[in-house]
Amino acid sequence: MPSSIAQSIPPPGWFPVDAVVVEGRPGLQWMDMSGISLSEPFFQQTVERAKSDGTNRRELFTEFDSLLQMEKLFDSVQPTGFIFHSSRCGSTLVANACRAITNSIVLSEANAIDKLVARFITDAAEGGVKESLYSVFLRGVVQVLSQRRTGKEQHLFIKFACCSFAQIERIRRIWPNVPWLFLYRDPVETIVSNVRDIPAWLVDDDRRVLASITGRSPAEVAEMNLEELCARTIGSFFSTAHGLANDNGILLNYTQLSLPVISRVLSFFKASPSTKELETIACASQAYSKEASGKKTFVADTDAKQKLASVAVREAAAKWAIEPYQLLEQKRLAMPEERQ
Amino acid sequence: MTSTNLMPGKHVVVTDFDGGEGILVDLTTKKYYQLNETAMIVWKGLEKGKTTGEIAADITSSYEVTPDKAQLSVERIVDNFQTYKLLTAK
Repeated sequence: MPSSIAQSIPPPGWFPVDAVVVEGRPGLQWMDMSGISLSEPFFQQTVERAKSDGTNRRELFTEFDSLLQMEKLFDSVQPTGFIFHSSRCGSTLVANACRAITNSIVLSEANAIDKLVARFITDAAEGGVKESLYSVFLRGVVQVLSQRRTGKEQHLFIKFACCSFAQIERIRRIWPNVPWLFLYRDPVETIVSNVRDIPAWLVDDDRRVLASITGRSPAEVAEMNLEELCARTIGSFFSTAHGLANDNGILLNYTQLSLPVISRVLSFFKASPSTKELETIACASQAYSKEASGKKTFVADTDAKQKLASVAVREAAAKWAIEPYQLLEQKRLAMPEERQ
Repeated sequence: MTSTNLMPGKHVVVTDFDGGEGILVDLTTKKYYQLNETAMIVWKGLEKGKTTGEIAADITSSYEVTPDKAQLSVERIVDNFQTYKLLTAK
């Protein structure tokens, strides 16, 4: 729970760690993150580390408008590249590779960012004042999270939660020139992974986000089994990626993930890695990407996932995801080699 | 040249968005206002202490609009700002 409600502006070193509603007022939960580097695979893992480091870090709540007052106060890094994905497809590996680039900041699925993106769906009609407002707030949250703390930071990579991909057009309206990546994987393997280890987004009580993504009503979403819901969702992501891939976007299949391809992605983001950085990436890619300690070994699991696929998974994939996946693959393969 | 003794209130913050548009937030009432390009030019002009005539001249130099029409637009926008108590006396 927020420790206090403040009208004051959080000072440098404080980060918005969540988007919350307190006493009916939507806003941001802030925490003093002084001295904490964003070294974990996910932003919220870093927040948890900071909370448990024994320093009793202060927290406070502000309404969103504090962001507008702070906009000009920080020296921030402009975004270098955006990582979007269809879930369970190697995007954390790519984000970790970005983290290996010297003087980079990687914001990986930060709650404050992705929850603001979700508000485009739950609280902002297309073209209304709220759409502009949430765009400004989103820009502000990114600006605060990318504040220069050492003065040397040069690159900012943002890995969004998978559902945020549905709002890519609004995100690109804020940052039209930032190159982006969409990473995806065979739908059967993706669904198997998601139903075996169910992520929060797939069982979110607020069905409006998945209803918007799948084009169904919240009531219909509530009735779907996990296989169908996951298949419809990733099928929608594939269709969106197919429609939007352009010169500023790159498509990447999980099967392509390798050191040379990751290096190419970084170059596409105009952050070409040095030999030493490539060595770090090669070393890190041997470890399981989502584990904070980096000690758990990564095991390629394409065959295992295919073997684990139930009839329900295969039927759902065939009905709602295979066709858009194949179309996306065709589009990727038709792209110039350096962007495949 | 029409003068104005008004300036943006300190309780209001403004941010650019989407090219020339912007958002104003009244920190007292917690109300938000979306400004189109013209309204943003007026707001920024007031921030710089310009008269309505000077702001209208800025508009006519950038857009195909007659001075009279520009002046009318600027005054109407300033009136709106006043109605919403977004301005204070200099």
